[in-house]
This record gives sequence, structure tokens and C-alpha cells, in this order.
Amino acid sequence: MQQESAEILSLFKKSEELVDMLRKGRAFTEELMSENERLRYRVVQLEAERMNPSDLLLREVDRLRLENAQMAHKLEFLDSKFQEVEAENKDFAQRYVEVEEQNESLANLYVASHRLHSTLDSAEVIECIKEILLNMIGSEDFGLFVVDDETGELIRSGYEGETAAGDNKARLALGEGLEGVVALGGEPIFGEITGEGPCACVPLKIKDRMVGVIAIYSLLSHKRGLSVLDHKLLELLAGHAASALISSKLYSMADRKLRTIEGFMSLLRVPQGGENV
Amino acid sequence: MSNKSLLVVDDSATMRQLLCMTLTRVDGITQANITEAADGADALDKVKTGNFDLVLTDIRMPRMDGLEFIRKVRSELNDVRLPIIIISTKGAEEDVELGMNLGASGYLSKPVSMARLKELVTNFLG
Repeated sequence: MQQESAEILSLFKKSEELVDMLRKGRAFTEELMSENERLRYRVVQLEAERMNPSDLLLREVDRLRLENAQMAHKLEFLDSKFQEVEAENKDFAQRYVEVEEQNESLANLYVASHRLHSTLDSAEVIECIKEILLNMIGSEDFGLFVVDDETGELIRSGYEGETAAGDNKARLALGEGLEGVVALGGEPIFGEITGEGPCACVPLKIKDRMVGVIAIYSLLSHKRGLSVLDHKLLELLAGHAASALISSKLYSMADRKLRTIEGFMSLLRVPQGGENV
Repeated sequence: MSNKSLLVVDDSATMRQLLCMTLTRVDGITQANITEAADGADALDKVKTGNFDLVLTDIRMPRMDGLEFIRKVRSELNDVRLPIIIISTKGAEEDVELGMNLGASGYLSKPVSMARLKELVTNFLG
């Protein structure tokens, strides 16, 4: 009996131990399952982490591509702007040169007109016209012809160079040669330097009254031709020269008349203590 | 450049006036800086008594021409430092060569280009 109870107790004890072991096994299993779950989650997490960098890189590449496209567009825009500005800059430089040339012409014109109108002596006016044609226009061979009021012919009043010095240029009838044609028509003629006739023939006139003609036969060796500005300058100078020539002529006429009248008056003047002469 | 002094030598009053007008368009130069002379002899007298930084001279002039003026400045006055620019006119290529050999510092051709004149003057006067 005692032996049986001891066996029962032993069995009971063993069963309890077994139950305890099973509990521990269960707890261990549960722990293993939890660890397994955690590890699986970790694996998933790690896989996700392993995938993300490539996505990020792709996204970054896409962003950079877009940025690159935008930059290329901006570069293209800036390049076109730069070309526009460069073209404008060239245009401004060109305009600056043109303005400088016009300034030069205006200065020439100012000095020329100032000089032309600073005297009332015909010879000085003619000398001044010659200086202008030589120093400002760069003429080498030229003639200044003035209309003779009595005969209506063109009389060479000033010249420089061989062609203008020729005997055939001393007197020209209206309509004779290019000089005469210009004097008759009243319009300037500009052409090439041929060595045969004038390369420029400009009438000197005040409104419709023809005063004379300037004929240029050749230019200084370093001057290849007359520019458009030279043409305008010549035409403007011609106006001033005509006015100066007429003024000096009128002044000399008035002066001559004044002297005649003064002479006449002195003859009429009653000498002191004498009789009328 | 305001304290610089220039001498313009030309028998043509028109040319002198034009040169003066152009020179006054260079920064710092006014009419007060410019002295005029009608020929070489007149210019030589002015160089003797004045203190110039630059001379612009025509070649063909009455009394004393530009070449003689340069020769006298360089040899008689022994002034080799004064810059002298000659202004040449028709058929004066030989004169220019002669002038350069006599000691001219530069030359300009008529009709004088304002841009070239300003460039030369600015170069010599700094």
C-alpha cells in the first residue's frame, strides 16, 4: 500500500514535472514563434530598405534629368538673350561710329560756315572755299566757278590742281561741260572718279538764283571716294558758300557806291571861304 | 589732361579752328589749353617761350614750313622729347617721310579724321 502510494506520488510528481516541462515547451514555442514573427518582420523591413535606395536613386535621377532639361532650356534662353544683347551692342557700336561721323561733319560744317561768314571780302571768301574743299572734303583737283552777271558765263574764280587749271576751264558757258549743265539744271551731280570729268559738281545757289558751281575732279590719294555724308556736307557748304559770295559781292558793290557817293559829296561840299564847286 | 598744353600750327585759319574744335572734344582739353600759330616761325617763337606737351603742325606753310620747324626744335632747341604730329596734305608723302626722319612723332592726313586725331592726342598726352 505504501509502495503504491509512493509510486502514485512519484507518478504524480513526474506528471507534474511533465506538465511543467510542457508549459515550458509551450512558452518556449511561443517565444520562438514571436521571435520568428519579429525576424520575418525584420526580413521584410530589410528587404524594403534594400529596395528603397534604388528607388531613391531613380527618383533622384529623374529629378536631375528634369532639372537638367530646365537648365538646358534656361541656357538656350540665356544664349538667345546674349545673342540679342550682342547684336544690340554691335548695333550701338555701329550707331556710335555713325554719330561720331555725323558729329565730325557737323563740326566741319560749323567751322566752314563760321569761316565763310566771317568775312565780306570776295577774295577771302574764295580762299576760304578752297581751304574747305582741300582740308575738309579732301579734294585735290577742284575748281570754283562763279556766274558772271553780265555774260551769264561761269568764270573760274578759284582752283587747285591740273584739271581745274586747264585753259578750257577758265570760262564756261551755261550748259557747257558738266559744270555748265549743273549750273543750268541747279541739281548736284555725284559720280565716280574717272579722271575725265568731275566726280562731284555742286551748284552754289540761293533759292533759284544761280551763283556758281563747285567742281571736284579728283580727291587726295588716301581718300577713295566721297561718302554720302560728304555729299550732304558739300551741298550744305554750297548753300553757305553761295550766301557768302553774294554777301561779299553786295558788300563790295555797296562799298563802291558809298565811295562814289562820298566822293561826289566831297565835291559838292562847300570849301570854307569858297564857293560851291 | 587739364594741365596739358597744346600748340596748333597751320597757316589756314579754317584748319586751325577745326583742329581746336576737335581737340576740345578730347576729355580735359579746353580752348585755354590750346595755343595757335600761323606758321613755323611763329610756332618756334612760342615753343621757345612756352612749355608745350604736344604740337600739331601742317607741313606746307609760308615763312617757315613744318619740316624746318621740326628740324629747328630737334636740333637748335635740342628738344627731342616734345611730341610733334605732322598733318600732311596732297602729294606730301615724301614730306611725311622726311618729317618722320627729322623727328616727328606721328602724322595725320587731311582731311583729318577726328577719331584718329583724338586717338593720337590721347596716346601722346596719356
